[in-house]
Amino acid sequence: MVVDHETPRLENGQTDKEVEENANVLQFMDSMDAYLTLIHSLSSTLRRGWLELASARHSMGASRVNTVLLDHTSHPAATSLLVTQDEGKVDSGKPHFTLCKWASSSNENSLLGEKQSSQDKLHPQLRHRGSTKLYEEKTSSENKASREVDDPVQKERSKSLSMFGTLVSPKLRAAQLSFEAALETLVEIANMRSEMLCAFDQVNMKLEGRKDEK
Amino acid sequence: MANRVQIPTSNSALIAMIADEDTVVGFLMAGVGNVDLRRKTNYLIVDSIKQIEDTFKEFTTREDIAVVLISQYVANMIRFLVDSYNKPVPAILEIPSKDHPYDPAHDSVLSRVKYLFSAESVASGRR
Repeated sequence: MVVDHETPRLENGQTDKEVEENANVLQFMDSMDAYLTLIHSLSSTLRRGWLELASARHSMGASRVNTVLLDHTSHPAATSLLVTQDEGKVDSGKPHFTLCKWASSSNENSLLGEKQSSQDKLHPQLRHRGSTKLYEEKTSSENKASREVDDPVQKERSKSLSMFGTLVSPKLRAAQLSFEAALETLVEIANMRSEMLCAFDQVNMKLEGRKDEK
Repeated sequence: MANRVQIPTSNSALIAMIADEDTVVGFLMAGVGNVDLRRKTNYLIVDSIKQIEDTFKEFTTREDIAVVLISQYVANMIRFLVDSYNKPVPAILEIPSKDHPYDPAHDSVLSRVKYLFSAESVASGRR
């Protein structure tokens, strides 16, 4: 390894350039590790979804859970993606994906409903015995708002399952939720993929630069 | 990097799928299915290799699609096409299927970056 005595060094003996290179390599390794972890998580979520779908097919009958029943009339996707350019680094040029679940044109509040219901799941409301009347009124109105926002989302979910009939197996509903969870993981994977490729380009550029210098 | 790559932004981009029946049905239940006025869908339940090739080329050139989900065993059938694809959008994500678990050795993204871990690339950096 060639030691450059002219370039100013930090206390640990590294130059700014070396610190930046190490940071790029670390970012690449971290994003690759996260990518593989997310893929593993996706695999288990999908397995759960396939099993639930198979259970639903078993209880409802193969003719009722069939691709023949798919809706081939013109309709927009209820779940879509928001694609933006990630401005984190200059010249990064990497896309950022955000999932918009059950956000149909007639359902502007569903996105908010999804965020709110997911926050409720992460931070369940605590019940206090002997709490003040004000607190009880506040939690009651929050619950009502949460239920009101959840309703359009539940309606969209039911509409999506309606191609299999009015009454469907609880396993089919469970499968729907599993595939929704898989979608969320997939969007994280897409973002991690673009981060990994961006970090790879940075590391590769430095390696190519070193080869040219020599 | 010579030129900055312009990412096509969108506020309602689609998720396309090329996969087996159960995977497609599952994701359709999650609301990703789209059928346009010409009855063109954003999904394909795999049948023949020719159809897979044509659909992959179609999905990767459509401007309204941001992500293409493809079962890894299907991607292996058109590996030359998948590996030669290098645009940021739509992003191609290889997913496991019921009968074929995910294999990182075949993933096109990991194949692209694995050479960094080879002895040759490490040795050339040290010379």
